[in-house]
Amino acid sequence: MLQNWINTFIYHLKHNKLFTALNILDLSIGIAGLIFSILYWNEEQSYNDWNPNKEVVFQSISKVSPTNTWGTNVLTFESYFKNDFKEIESYCYLDTWYAEKTIQYHNKKGVFNTINAQKTFFEMFPFAFIMGNSKTALKDENCLAISKKTALNLFGSVNVLGKTVNYYDKKLVVTGVYTIPGKSSLEPDAITNFTAERMRENKDNWGSFDMGLLLKLKNPADKDKVIAKMNNLFYKNRSLKWAKDEGISIAEWSKKNSEFEVKVSLESLKDARLHSQIDGYAEGQGNFQFLLIMMALSFLILILSLFNYINFATANAIKRAKEVGIRKVLGASKGNIVLQFIFETFIITTFSILLSLVIVELSLPFYNNFLNKNLSISGFQFSFELIVIFIITIIAAGIFPAIYISNFESLKVLKGNFSRSKSGVWLRNGILILQFAIASFFMIGSYIVYLQVNFLNKRDLGFKGNQVLEIKYEKPFFDLNDPKVDEKLFARYETIKQEISKIKGVSQVSTGVISFASGNSLSSTFNYNDKTILAQNIGVDYGMLEMMKIKLSQGRYLDSSIASDSIDAILINEKALQLMNEKNPVGKVVTLNDQKLKIIGVVKDFNLWGPKAEIPPMVFFHLKTIDWTNLNVNHLFVKVNQNEITNTIADLETFWKKNVDVDSPFHYDFVDKAYARNYQEYINQSNLFSLLNFVVILIALFGLFALASYSVQSRMKEIAIRKTLGAETNVLLKELSKQYIIFCFVGFLIALFPAYYLLNKWLEDFVFRIEISAYPFLFGFLALLSLTLIVVLSRTYQATKVDVLKYLKYE
Amino acid sequence: MINITKLSKVFRTEELETKALSEISLTINQGDFISIMGPSGSGKSTLLNIIGLLDSASDGSYKLLGQEMVGLKEKQKSQARKENIGFIFQNFNLIDELSVFDNIELPLIYANVPSSERKSRVNEIAKILGISHRLKHFPQQLSGGQQQRVAVARALINNPKIILADEPTGNLDSKNGNEVMELLTDLHASGSTILMVTHSDYDASFSQRTILMKDGVILSEKVNHRNVDVLVTANN
Repeated sequence: MLQNWINTFIYHLKHNKLFTALNILDLSIGIAGLIFSILYWNEEQSYNDWNPNKEVVFQSISKVSPTNTWGTNVLTFESYFKNDFKEIESYCYLDTWYAEKTIQYHNKKGVFNTINAQKTFFEMFPFAFIMGNSKTALKDENCLAISKKTALNLFGSVNVLGKTVNYYDKKLVVTGVYTIPGKSSLEPDAITNFTAERMRENKDNWGSFDMGLLLKLKNPADKDKVIAKMNNLFYKNRSLKWAKDEGISIAEWSKKNSEFEVKVSLESLKDARLHSQIDGYAEGQGNFQFLLIMMALSFLILILSLFNYINFATANAIKRAKEVGIRKVLGASKGNIVLQFIFETFIITTFSILLSLVIVELSLPFYNNFLNKNLSISGFQFSFELIVIFIITIIAAGIFPAIYISNFESLKVLKGNFSRSKSGVWLRNGILILQFAIASFFMIGSYIVYLQVNFLNKRDLGFKGNQVLEIKYEKPFFDLNDPKVDEKLFARYETIKQEISKIKGVSQVSTGVISFASGNSLSSTFNYNDKTILAQNIGVDYGMLEMMKIKLSQGRYLDSSIASDSIDAILINEKALQLMNEKNPVGKVVTLNDQKLKIIGVVKDFNLWGPKAEIPPMVFFHLKTIDWTNLNVNHLFVKVNQNEITNTIADLETFWKKNVDVDSPFHYDFVDKAYARNYQEYINQSNLFSLLNFVVILIALFGLFALASYSVQSRMKEIAIRKTLGAETNVLLKELSKQYIIFCFVGFLIALFPAYYLLNKWLEDFVFRIEISAYPFLFGFLALLSLTLIVVLSRTYQATKVDVLKYLKYE
Repeated sequence: MINITKLSKVFRTEELETKALSEISLTINQGDFISIMGPSGSGKSTLLNIIGLLDSASDGSYKLLGQEMVGLKEKQKSQARKENIGFIFQNFNLIDELSVFDNIELPLIYANVPSSERKSRVNEIAKILGISHRLKHFPQQLSGGQQQRVAVARALINNPKIILADEPTGNLDSKNGNEVMELLTDLHASGSTILMVTHSDYDASFSQRTILMKDGVILSEKVNHRNVDVLVTANN
């Protein structure tokens, strides 16, 4: 029986080479799309999956104001945890971000992503230990736990327990070598434990949210109890105390400062990658929305290609009618016919899946590059999913046409006259309309996304940085206990600035607690009259704002010739002004960092963060005004002359490597490019959407092509008769294309609302966005209509040129 | 073997009720070779289709080997058809996509006959019908007469109890037509039961009995005598 089926299949393969090839290609593109999404999905979902504690380990998240939610907490909880929190099995204060630290062993040294954590770290992230063990690896300040990669890199072997390395001015002993079993929210190269000192210093400081905090609960259901206890401690130690300090009742204080009451929440490690409210771990957050969009769109494409298959199969069924009729007369049951056609789908799907794997394998490097990932086709889970896709495809694509075909009545078929039967036409037309709808959706959607991204690209950011380099500035190791550290840091910067200014091609040098690549992370409240405003604190050197061409709406810039400008001058941005509710801000005094500062100017709003972020209130002052802000300077800004950029950068690098930072690589960015990375994600999304759009249109047009061919073929006799009776070519063309234009229009109408709704939903997240106009819809419709006409007319035109006699004599 | 009593077939459309068959009674015995003649629309093909279980009757009784066929479900009919009936069509109805061998083999496949046995049986019947050298060809590479031989081979491969032939020579020239009729006569001589619909008196004369139909009823039955034919067979 199988042999018989295969013979039939091969016969059709030989006689329908083009359509079979297109069919396989079409299915394989659909499947490839889904495979791409699944690879992405699998990886994102695999974060922390290996971690047996993912359900019981929670990160504490502090909401400190309506606009500020931090993944850090105050360091005051330790004694409370020990005594009053029976729900907690263990806790771990740590820095949840990577510091790039230089570690040296003899002559070999390297820069490693290092985190600093309490010794309980491995209870939260139970990495696998090759050397040493999790209990002792971080037992005190002298310990250093390193990853296998780091060990190999630094020592060339993993057998390194007890070896001593140089860590700035300290000597650390390697106490553990670990490997990380899978994707993890924290994948540090090295872990230190410099926490004791900081914990001691800040044990009563309820205002400094200095470190990340992980809690391991005995029972995750106690989460809310723990939150309530922590919030209560904040209430007692902040609100109550501060009300007392101000000499007002707690009710009064709460009324005034309600938005500054800290609200703690706990987020399990399981949710850290895709469902977190904040970007709380060094490995970052996954983009769940984008992931969902990818999955949904790839399913849509697969459905589209399945539609094509079904359409093709049912249209083709007429050709198979006689065969089916005879088979039934000769004893084939309905079930047997169904099996035969599913078997054909099985073969086609097998080819398609193999081809799709080839497609994926070939284009994976581009995809990885695009997603900034390292995905590969492998793994048990993936094989399983592939089999599921395989089965679903066969069922979805095969069952319907098979049943449709098996229901042919043999008598009618054998009597002939079946080929012009109307059966199945409604279904094919319905599917065609749906395909038009999906294609319209993509056309409109990708155009709107394109417009939005274009809008972001062209938007005036409020600063200009095409000639300004942002150079990563690794400060020398400093002792925090040195009272003069701030001064020293500034003096060092001044020296570097002087030296760099001498380099040919450098026109200006400045710095600030600011980064156009990653924003700014220093914020605190200032007071004006009775208002408390949380603002970004941006300490700058003279010339910084001018160099970036950041404009003023009132007042003046900081001026080095005015002595007081480095003592008590401050600039605010428009957003801050708005919150202050003050008409004439220049000359008014605000309190920041317990200092009285006089406003000398108002800066026009500019955006440091991505296009989804509101512009926050900002204040600007000289680094000397609040001198500890020097500790937060991480970048130098150098303006270079346009025509000698390459040489200047080379000179800069030479100077830098020799005089500023011997260890770290010289890392720079043009400011505009650095900022552009904030919305690179959206450019990528737009490109991806355009690519998908192209694929969708291609598949849809192929479907249309196949269907139009068949429809024309089945109407050949009609066309021949019409021609004999004197119909002219253009009349015939009109007659034949009419229905497709109607389908195209109906499909467009169906897509109208979902496209508008979903794209609006997508745009909602952007603070800076376009409004959806009628234009993309018009564009989508016209584009689709013209493509439809091209395909249909090319097929029908061919039909009108046929030899009339052939079709009239036939039958 | 076949007992038909008061069999009727009515085609209904919205306005019209057409009686294709009205209360026909007919008995076919084992070893009979019967032909049905009549003008277009006399109901002869409808009768053949009902006997072949391709169509169902509206009323009356049709017993095949003593078993009632009217009112059977599609599946049971398909089973009865598979076991008992072989078809020969005017337009051959070979599957163009399959080779001659595959075409002949098909009924055996659906009857779950094992592969090795299928092969030997196909070869055997092809030899008898003189198409052994054509087994690898596709139907469209053969002449009409050869195609019909393939169709006959396919009809016979399952050793059916009765062979139904619907104008088997209708698409053939007289030489090829004659060959097919002689083939049927041979089959009859070797014991097959055959029911044939035909337009041609000449073809009908090969059979034992001719039934004449008109407007859905049987007009007359006559017994044929073909001495010449017997001689021809003897000469073979």
